[in-house]
Amino acid sequence: MKRASVRVDRSAGSSGFTKRSRGMKTRDLNITSLIDILTILLVFMIKNISMDASQKNAPEGMLLPTTITRNELIESGKAVFVKIYTDKILYGAENIPVGSLQDFISQQDTRQSLLRLLQMEARSIMAMNSQPCLLIQADKDIPCRYITEFIKFSAQASFANIYFSTIHSENKEEVLGI
Amino acid sequence: MAYGPSQNRTGSQHEHREPNLIPIMNLFIVIIPMLMTIMVSVHLAMIAITLPAPSTDASNGGEEEEQMEESPKMITLALFPDRFEIMVEGDKGVTEILQLSPGRHDFVTLDKNMAELKIAHEKQGTIEVLPDPTVRFDTLLRSIDICKSNDFPNIKYLTALTKYYRAK
Repeated sequence: MKRASVRVDRSAGSSGFTKRSRGMKTRDLNITSLIDILTILLVFMIKNISMDASQKNAPEGMLLPTTITRNELIESGKAVFVKIYTDKILYGAENIPVGSLQDFISQQDTRQSLLRLLQMEARSIMAMNSQPCLLIQADKDIPCRYITEFIKFSAQASFANIYFSTIHSENKEEVLGI
Repeated sequence: MAYGPSQNRTGSQHEHREPNLIPIMNLFIVIIPMLMTIMVSVHLAMIAITLPAPSTDASNGGEEEEQMEESPKMITLALFPDRFEIMVEGDKGVTEILQLSPGRHDFVTLDKNMAELKIAHEKQGTIEVLPDPTVRFDTLLRSIDICKSNDFPNIKYLTALTKYYRAK
């Protein structure tokens, strides 16, 4: 059986390959500085990590207002989410589409179906000896007309505790618009 | 007769041995992307509001009237598209804070006014907020935030403008 072999001329000038002596070690890439950076990054991330899902789930495609103050949900309170976009209203964690803002204001069917959903939810929360809370996540460009209507509406469904979702900031100047 | 250490042994003692960083690197490569996906970059907060309680009958006796006299004056903050109005119960005047430019409310002056009101009405912890239907939600929440940060923790959301205009 013939063997294919390639001969390399290593005896060529300085530009050619240099013959590696037997005991010579391969040069490793020094990654110590990279490890240092990664360690710092790891410590920083572990320090800042929050496993709280409610703090993370900012609704997609919605611009929330910024505030410096924050309130906690009342003790034994259970929140029901309502997302009010400029063009649609989504109900609950499952994002059930309710209709548009105009539908909510003008169409009786939309209001009735949403009221039924809210009442059902409120009853089931109260059955667990908890207090129903409504967490409104609304886009910052929405006129207050809809918010007021929604608050009036949710009061009919026994939601006495109402919360607005915002983005928390430590910078007061941001809120003051300076 | 004792022999000295072999050349190989002497060589291995002098050789600078580096720790094997590959397992650590592997660990980092797994942990850092995982933490980056979990990490909260935007902190959400909640702002609580209360709804106005239904008005009780005024003819409940003299004791309640006495209590009403001692209770702090109610402060109402009305939000309009072009201005803020602050009305204190019993006061004739209304403090108007005009907008800086079209669509730009003067939150700095509102903040100053709220701080002064807190000094004047130290016992009062509630502000009634009454937004005009056309005011943006952002303006409403900024105003509520300013009230809360000036030690007015209870915000009553008024839903009817008629009451305000009657009082005015």
